[in-house]
Amino acid sequence: MEPWEYHCADDLDRSLADRLRQFPRRPDMLVYGGRLAAMALVRTWMRAYHRFRVTGCENLPREGSFVVVANHSSHLDVFTLLMAFPMTKLHRVFPAAAQDYFFVSLPRVAFAAGVVNALPFDRQVGIKHSLGLCTGLLSNPGNVLVIFPEGTRSLDGVMHPFKPGIGLLLAGTPYPVVPCYIEGAHDAWAKGKWIPRPRRVRLFIGTPRVYSELKPGKQSALQITSELEDAVASLAPNGGTKQTRQDGGEETASTKIERK
Amino acid sequence: MSPTAALHSTVFQIYVAITLGLLVFAGLAIAILKWGFKKDMTHPWASYRGWLIMIPLLLLCIFLGRIPTIVFFTAVAVFGFKEFARATGLYEDWGMTGAVYLGIIGVGIVSVVPNPRLDVPGWYGLFSIFPAYVIALILLIPILRNRVKGQLQAIALAVVGFVYIGWMFGHVIFLSNSTHAYGYLMYLLFAVEVNDVAAYTCGKAFGKHPLRSEISPKKTWEGALGALAVSMALPWVLHFSFPHFGVLECILTGLIVGIGGQLGDLSISVIKRDLHIKDMGALMSGHGGILDRLDSLIYVAPLFFHMVRFFHDIY
Repeated sequence: MEPWEYHCADDLDRSLADRLRQFPRRPDMLVYGGRLAAMALVRTWMRAYHRFRVTGCENLPREGSFVVVANHSSHLDVFTLLMAFPMTKLHRVFPAAAQDYFFVSLPRVAFAAGVVNALPFDRQVGIKHSLGLCTGLLSNPGNVLVIFPEGTRSLDGVMHPFKPGIGLLLAGTPYPVVPCYIEGAHDAWAKGKWIPRPRRVRLFIGTPRVYSELKPGKQSALQITSELEDAVASLAPNGGTKQTRQDGGEETASTKIERK
Repeated sequence: MSPTAALHSTVFQIYVAITLGLLVFAGLAIAILKWGFKKDMTHPWASYRGWLIMIPLLLLCIFLGRIPTIVFFTAVAVFGFKEFARATGLYEDWGMTGAVYLGIIGVGIVSVVPNPRLDVPGWYGLFSIFPAYVIALILLIPILRNRVKGQLQAIALAVVGFVYIGWMFGHVIFLSNSTHAYGYLMYLLFAVEVNDVAAYTCGKAFGKHPLRSEISPKKTWEGALGALAVSMALPWVLHFSFPHFGVLECILTGLIVGIGGQLGDLSISVIKRDLHIKDMGALMSGHGGILDRLDSLIYVAPLFFHMVRFFHDIY
């Protein structure tokens, strides 16, 4: 009798935490099942407790890979953006999450990789590597990359200048980018607060844009960053006050919105 | 089983005292050897850290009651099968693995629901016949797919995975329904681990003749016989776990744990050697995977369960 061939998983000797930390991750039935169950609970929570509403879902591209950018002031932001996608698409949506925060301890890794399907983004020393991961992800048709270009949660709920990494990622590429504005998440669950409050959260999705005609480079990156910052700001429903400031260096076209 | 029952159960309290006492004793021993005698305790410390998590978690689930215990052991079986599927390559076949996951969850459910004809917890009739339904489901998958190539191997692995991890281990889950659940469960878990430790210790101290050289070169006849001797003595030492057991049941319990524990260990070694892997997984440093920890228990549980059922019924 011919012996059977067994194709052992090649990461058999790696712990669960290590397997979740690696990216791209392998599809895993239990992780997928857990994610769907967790996100069903989160969706119910968002609709019931935060009276979540979304406007502009029709602007999301139906085919191919694309990028979603939004303002960031709360941990609720990522759930808010994931609510824009059907449950069947959840495993193809990858929110970029800070590697130094979400991919350190086991509970955070389990939450970030297991529930949110996050891409570990090194925002300190390995930015080029992280941008490479993002490009690789987008090269697979159907994947969605979610990025908060402010780099961190805003402490005061005001939208802060975008980092130019988003421009470097998109310049000269065919991937559409969809600007989104999240309203109310800061009031509902601000940075530093332990318990979310029952405040209304709304998501506004803008029209996609493509920067394939721009040549990759610093100048294009700054232009894209500035345009996206304005695009996100313009989606704010209360027409918040814009403040343009000159930071010098790379962040030359940063915009602030002060919400009333 | 319930928190109130646990607080009033002498058996539960004695086992809590024994296990926590052993944890403290082992911690002190490691500390003295490390700092007093400057021994390298890296491996024992890694193993000890695993116990520091596993023992309190297990005691907490048993304390919380029947359903938390069943849920906990069902989850252990699910992740144990996941290790098996990853080691054998079956994990790439989502249909087969999904069917086995469903089967294992089904074992948990039939262990929770009451028998509709008898007023007792757990539906034993359905539990005992459950493999037939799961195997029928596994056999159905290639038919639905209209696929032939490689399906015999996938079916065989799925059936072995379910029967070995889902159903044989499922007897531990079902024991939670017994009127003597604290005694049976805690004795079984404790005795199987003591048997493993005794085999290792006796093998280290006196081992010369290999038990099964092709399967597990480090295991020796001396280790196995030492473990059997310890396991034969344990039912008398811990007789408070099952005060209704007579001499014959105690002897059979000792034989089941002493011999079954070793056979369970060798069984998983056969699988690992054939797959050319050292451990089934890497759940905890110093322990390998879930199946490396549970191998003896999987083999012993159904034998002990049916011995108890033959002499006393489990209720």
